[in-house]
Amino acid sequence: MNRVAIEKKVLNENDQVAGRLRERLADFGTLSLNFIGSPGAGKTAFLEGTLERLAAHTRTAVLTGDLQTENDAIRLRRYGYPVRQITTGGACHLDARMVQTHLEDLLKVGLELLLIENVGNLVCPTSYDLGEDAKVVVLSVCEGEDKPLKYPGIFRKAELMLLTKIDLLPHVPFKPELALENARKINPEIEIIETSYTTGAGFDRWLEWLSRRAEQKRALLKSPAEAAQVG
Amino acid sequence: MHEMGIASSVLEAVDKERRRYPGQRAAKIGLRIGEYAGIDCDSLRFCFEALVKDTDLEPLELDLEWCRLEDGRRGDELEIAYLELEEAHETEKVET
Repeated sequence: MNRVAIEKKVLNENDQVAGRLRERLADFGTLSLNFIGSPGAGKTAFLEGTLERLAAHTRTAVLTGDLQTENDAIRLRRYGYPVRQITTGGACHLDARMVQTHLEDLLKVGLELLLIENVGNLVCPTSYDLGEDAKVVVLSVCEGEDKPLKYPGIFRKAELMLLTKIDLLPHVPFKPELALENARKINPEIEIIETSYTTGAGFDRWLEWLSRRAEQKRALLKSPAEAAQVG
Repeated sequence: MHEMGIASSVLEAVDKERRRYPGQRAAKIGLRIGEYAGIDCDSLRFCFEALVKDTDLEPLELDLEWCRLEDGRRGDELEIAYLELEEAHETEKVET
């Protein structure tokens, strides 16, 4: 028997595409975020709330993934930004090639912000790099507080957790402090913002987070000395 | 059910690698799977066996190494570690 060391990632091909995509986005200082959450967690509503509040001149685009229908793209297009629906047919996640294909013409306009709404699923999208700067995990108060413990992969990899639908807290038995504690058990560094599309709660904090991350990304386009000042 | 896609990527890598070794057949493939990689090992094994069945790769053993943080691993591993090859019978030789 002859054993040959391979030592490469299983998703090597996807990672190569994602890497090239990341480089192209970096050329424009585009901040790219990959939103991952269960079906019904409120990803689309959260993006609607975001687009509604963005400064009008922001060069933003949205990619939204679903197994079927253009429904989410139709909802998101109402805010005047370019939105592309990626219908995966049956695939339970987006991959880097799908993103590249749907983004091709938008890459040329020099985006400031790219928002990618992944297919509703807390497991499969975790494995696929889409060339994003950060993964954002979306959990709603209609789910269980133990989701971070049950699906640790995405909570471990996410830079930010959005706890959505907090306006429903008086009506559901969800304990937010327990959900936050569980998320921090899995990822002590994770930032957490509690939000509600209905009341607008948390969107100020979210837009501050977005602005800080976008500035960090743009700073990489500047001289190393200027970039260091931004931190 | 992204394990089907993962299994398919593994087999593509096996097929590519084995062609570098004329006269030998792939006998075992070793993967490292991190506890936070988002992979269900039973599901991956099921998909792997389904894809290998009735192909010229059969029989091909799958060796999964589960990598945990508490053992000093990263926990997000999703890697092909090794391929084991053995002498192929005349009918099993791959055209390169």
